[in-house]
Amino acid sequence: MLDSINADFTSSFWGLYVAGLVTISLLVCVLILVLNMTSRETGAPQVQAHTWDETLQEYNNPLPKWWLYLFWGTLVFAVVYLAVFPGYGTANDDRGARAEYAKETEKFQQVFDKYAKVDVAALAQQPEAVATGKRLFLTYCIQCHGSNAKGSPGFPDLTDNDWLYGGEADTVKTSILEGRAGVMNAFGAVLSGDEIKDVANYVRSLSGLSADAARVQRGEAVFAANCTVCHGPDGKGAASMGAAFAALGAPNLTDNVWLYGNSEAKIIEGVTRGRNFDNRSLKNAMPAWGEFLGEGKVTLLAAYVHSLSQKK
Amino acid sequence: MAQSNKHEAIERNVFFLIVLTLLAVSVGGLVEIVPLFFQTSTTTAVDDKGNKLDVKPYDPVRLVGRDIYIREGCYNCHSQMIRPFRAETERYGHFSVAGEFIYDHPFQWGSKRTGPDLARVGGRYTSEWHRTHLINPRDVVEESNMPAFPWLNRPADFSDVQDKMRALRQVGVPYSDEEIRTADATIKAYQNEELGGIAPTELDALIAYLQGLGTALRNVR
Repeated sequence: MLDSINADFTSSFWGLYVAGLVTISLLVCVLILVLNMTSRETGAPQVQAHTWDETLQEYNNPLPKWWLYLFWGTLVFAVVYLAVFPGYGTANDDRGARAEYAKETEKFQQVFDKYAKVDVAALAQQPEAVATGKRLFLTYCIQCHGSNAKGSPGFPDLTDNDWLYGGEADTVKTSILEGRAGVMNAFGAVLSGDEIKDVANYVRSLSGLSADAARVQRGEAVFAANCTVCHGPDGKGAASMGAAFAALGAPNLTDNVWLYGNSEAKIIEGVTRGRNFDNRSLKNAMPAWGEFLGEGKVTLLAAYVHSLSQKK
Repeated sequence: MAQSNKHEAIERNVFFLIVLTLLAVSVGGLVEIVPLFFQTSTTTAVDDKGNKLDVKPYDPVRLVGRDIYIREGCYNCHSQMIRPFRAETERYGHFSVAGEFIYDHPFQWGSKRTGPDLARVGGRYTSEWHRTHLINPRDVVEESNMPAFPWLNRPADFSDVQDKMRALRQVGVPYSDEEIRTADATIKAYQNEELGGIAPTELDALIAYLQGLGTALRNVR
């Protein structure tokens, strides 16, 4: 035991230092009490020699018994405490706290681990699993997706069955497990301001929103030349071009579901500056949760998220 | 036995009384605080098992962000200390260890959580989330009672960052002469690489600070 604590101290002196000071201070307390032991004498109380403020004098009484016994009591307590809990310089004993922590962690890990390989879609049918998933969601996910899972500007609504990366139960699980990095390149340097405004109007028209007819016409050509690679020839998004493209995450632009808002200004901002994932500033990203939560919890979360859009 | 009169010696000699009082009250500190300065786990970047941690002094941008964190009183509502209880480690990640804070002068452990603990907030959310959230928390978390900090959207003051680094070096943060001399270049590089050339605002500096919190022991329970 001495070795383990001394390994943490920079010198073995410190173990002795703590033990020494603790012993000395306890002994000094005992010494003070013993050296001042006295008994009450009968007869008139003894008066101390000094006089203050002309007439003020003090009795010289022994310590009150109740106080004295309490003092002895604290000394006994100190010795017992040092024996039971580590405090004597040499003890690096956590009384099994770390082991208990590890045991508890392991116990709960097992509860979640048994969900790790369960089929997400099947799990979404089990009310108990979905309820557990919901509680996990309320702890880890609401900061971005909201407690009603309806998202906020820049953070997707999970209840509308409109998906950037695909809404199959397993795809949802992958999104949580590994995270997602959105890629929308900045076209500010490629296109002129007018072209960007044209394409913004065209994109609005795809969702049936009001748009300038002349700009829509010009914007269609700009869209065809620059945007179809990711958003698809008809603007229905990467997922519409087949599963291989779904990982691009380019949204369907025809469904009037908007991650960053549908105003002309917001679309122009997105086209000009991009909504690019950046490894350091972490824009337009879904963090990976696999390492932190473990696959069991992620599966439960995926089941809950999947269940949200299945009710409709 | 006659009643003891020894206490008179102390009561009548004020200087002696002061010396004995100081001796008595210093024992606790001498036993419980002083040895901490001589423990590997509290003075070097190691975790609770003795593994080395990659803890670095704050770069100039994060350092300024940290001062904004302090100036705005974030520590009044946010702690930066995850206790070793399962309920906390489940939510926040691995409990905090002393070695993570060796370059914090002063540390921001805090003592009250009106908001959540921030010890491992680094990388948990996107920087865009932080930006939206700091300007108006309700935009992302409807139920939030955190105040908005819209005024942080103004240029950050880096003029005295070298002085700050020199001051921290006085208390043991190992900034090299080179690091202090090139502080402006480091800020410039950050500006060009991460902000597209736009001068960092106080929001950017604060977010840079937040995104670095607790990452030395990240993603482990």
